[in-house]
Amino acid sequence: MSVGEVRIRWPDEADAVRLAASAAPGASLADRLARAGRPLNTRCGQRGLCAGCTVELIAGEFRLHDGRVSAAPAAIKACAGDLAPGTPALVAVPPRALVAHRPQVVTTFKVNVSAAHAPIVPVVPGTLDHGLAVDVGTTTVVVALVDLVTGRIVGEQSGFNRQVELGDDVLTRIQRAGDPVQREALRQAVVTRTLGPLVREVGAEAGVAAARIAGAVVAGNTTMLHLLTGTDPSSLGVAPFRPVFTNHRELSAAQLGWDWVGPDTPVHLLPGFSAYVGADLVAGCLCTGLLNDAGPSLLVDIGTNGEILLRHGDRLLATATAAGPAFEGGRLTRGVRAVAGAVAHVAFPPARYPPRLDVIPGAPRVVGLCGSAYVDLLAEGRRTGLLGANGRIDAAGWSAVPAAHRHEDADGRGVCLRARDPATVVTEADIAQLLPAKAAIAAGILTLLRRAGLTPADVGRLYLAGGFGLHLDVPHAIACGLLPGFEPRQIEVVGNTSLGGAWLALVDRTIVPEMAAAAANAEIVELNLEPGFEDTFIDQLTLPPP
Amino acid sequence: MTTLELLAQAVAAGKAKDAKALTQRALDEAIAPTEIVDRTLVPAMTEVGDKFKRSEIFVPEMLIAARAMKEAMELIDPRLAAAGITPKYTAVIGTVQGDLHDIGKNLVATMWRGANFRVIDLGANVPPAKFVAAIQEHRPHLAGLSALLTTTMPAMAETVRAIRANAGVPVKIMIGGAPITQQFCDEIGADGFAPDAGSAVDKARALVESVP
Ligand code: B12
Ligand code: FES
Repeated sequence: MSVGEVRIRWPDEADAVRLAASAAPGASLADRLARAGRPLNTRCGQRGLCAGCTVELIAGEFRLHDGRVSAAPAAIKACAGDLAPGTPALVAVPPRALVAHRPQVVTTFKVNVSAAHAPIVPVVPGTLDHGLAVDVGTTTVVVALVDLVTGRIVGEQSGFNRQVELGDDVLTRIQRAGDPVQREALRQAVVTRTLGPLVREVGAEAGVAAARIAGAVVAGNTTMLHLLTGTDPSSLGVAPFRPVFTNHRELSAAQLGWDWVGPDTPVHLLPGFSAYVGADLVAGCLCTGLLNDAGPSLLVDIGTNGEILLRHGDRLLATATAAGPAFEGGRLTRGVRAVAGAVAHVAFPPARYPPRLDVIPGAPRVVGLCGSAYVDLLAEGRRTGLLGANGRIDAAGWSAVPAAHRHEDADGRGVCLRARDPATVVTEADIAQLLPAKAAIAAGILTLLRRAGLTPADVGRLYLAGGFGLHLDVPHAIACGLLPGFEPRQIEVVGNTSLGGAWLALVDRTIVPEMAAAAANAEIVELNLEPGFEDTFIDQLTLPPP
Repeated sequence: MTTLELLAQAVAAGKAKDAKALTQRALDEAIAPTEIVDRTLVPAMTEVGDKFKRSEIFVPEMLIAARAMKEAMELIDPRLAAAGITPKYTAVIGTVQGDLHDIGKNLVATMWRGANFRVIDLGANVPPAKFVAAIQEHRPHLAGLSALLTTTMPAMAETVRAIRANAGVPVKIMIGGAPITQQFCDEIGADGFAPDAGSAVDKARALVESVP
């Protein structure tokens, strides 16, 4: 070894290879490795916030940017400094420190951070080499089949959570599950009747036998994880809303009754924050990169239970606002999920009627409207004078609606977005359902910001996640007051980040410890106890002026 | 327009700041607090309730009007109390144990005040024993129980039982909240149910007036 020679032991090469001397002053070891063509998993953008760049110093010295020195043997963060010049060194790079997955847009979600390829479960190529990333939502369950050799998603299936038949919101299910017989029925509804068929379908479609599934990672809200494990959720249903568990758990398929994979297959349940801020949101705060952002950032996940997370400096504030199922299409005349045949967008051209509709392709006819279309309608309806501030169709608005687009029933007035097509009806009663849902989310955001002494203008990034997938029209979400006082440039639509976080944790085992640390660090805000929430909620019940 | 007419308008339109300022102006003009209540606030809130029943306004407008009414009452209440004036009927109201939702309950309370009831608000997450103690202390004609969660409906049943068994006062019990139905009301033996704050007023009047 010559003077000052630096050698790197890569996971996939038999012998350690020489690393060229540092060229740029102030560069980190991570920079040097990247320049050598082997970037590390610098997930947090080299801010010292993650563990993605941790490598082993086997020989030599490592000088941190602040001047301190670490001597071998040591685990060092390659972004935090460089090897001491003139000193020979040997560094081993473990597989989990190598970047394998760059930020990307996957079918229904976006991952904003890079990830290593170091699956959370042992992999045997050719025989035991696939994994499942699972998002168990109150209304919708999604299963992604992942090739654990490449890390790529090879199939995705989603369907209604069959527990819906036993109660369409979490509280009804919690109420039922107090009785052990009903609790078991709920567990079977999601395990045997929802997950089982989805896993079989996704495997059949991708041509992957269930025997090749090496493990699974599950994200979901706290109630869903209680019901999945057969845990009595009663304490989640009444104040002070205490969960039985929110920690990361590793169970076997046999313990969970997953009989479609081998009994010893490991299944990881991701950690959550609290009773109503669950593992789904923790998953989201990793996969959006929010934990690594500098400025104040928000994550707003619009599901049946709107969840909001604010990162401000070192603080992590989390809360839940009960939006209800309206934005997932629940309890609306023609509300559906974002499925084939759903109207995803509505816009009124200068001539107003007929409005332009964007329909998700793949179905012979329109089946209804999904959340993003309702958001469009609130904004466009108000802009064009169809709707007043109170969300009603007043006399002037009504007179402008051509006969073929009018709809009237016992609940009041409405419009047929497509002439005489009942599948496209939106009524005043629908709007009356949407307004409190919108107000609860808007007031939740404003209350959380106020608690941290911030206003919407101070926020660097607002990640908008949720059941609408990647469809939502951002200017309309702002115009209808769902995201009050924000500007389009602050907002990034990220889709189903719960599934995204489950995928991330599956392919990169360093993710779960970071999730657990985030969960332990968060302050849970109870909106009922926040002075000013009620006032803000009432203010937000109307549609802002166009 | 007179101050009272302007005040009635401000309340109906939900202009809380104006309502407060106009109430102060009325008091400065030496108009009797009882007159402000009887001739202005009660008719204004009755009108709001009627419009709601005719579907001319929705819950948001009602909440906004109630907020204005509350501002006005905050100035008037201490004067009424100081003068020893109490309305004919008294009600206690609260959200049952385990439930912290109180926006609907607050609205009903304000509408009852607007119908000239004296209303004692026990807040949210109120245990049965606290309802019983408050009823024994204030001897109200009416007790209002609110629950917004499916999971706190049993606590509502429990509270009705506790009041009947332990209060020793012939109080009428009214229940409400999004998951509550007339059928549930019959099951747990409450005296009345109302699906919204508009009908909550009519029902309350009917119940207290049914007692000789
Ligand atoms: C605002 C809101 C909140 C606020 C509450 C703020 C507060 N200080 O009250 C916050 C965000 C804190 C909240 C929290 C929760 N909420 Co919440 N919340 C709502 C929401 C969106 C609106 C409720 C509301 O205030 N409406 C406006 C008022 C005016 O209407 P109202 O309450 O129905 O009252 C009217 C009538 O019911 C009646 N009435 C009411 N009380 C009484 C009493 C009497 C005597 C009478 C006669 C009449 C009467 O008159 C009122 C006026 O017309 C509803 C969904 C919805 N669209 O209803 C969910 C909802 C009630 N919440 C729900 C849930 C699950 C929760 C949580 C448990 C979980 C969560 N975070 O999501 C928590 C925990 C609550 C707690 N800590 O107790 C669920 C309940 C589901 C169920 N089956 O039980 C709902 C239905 C949403 C949903 N579909 O998921 N929530
Ligand atoms: S890249 Fe080094 S700690 Fe995140």
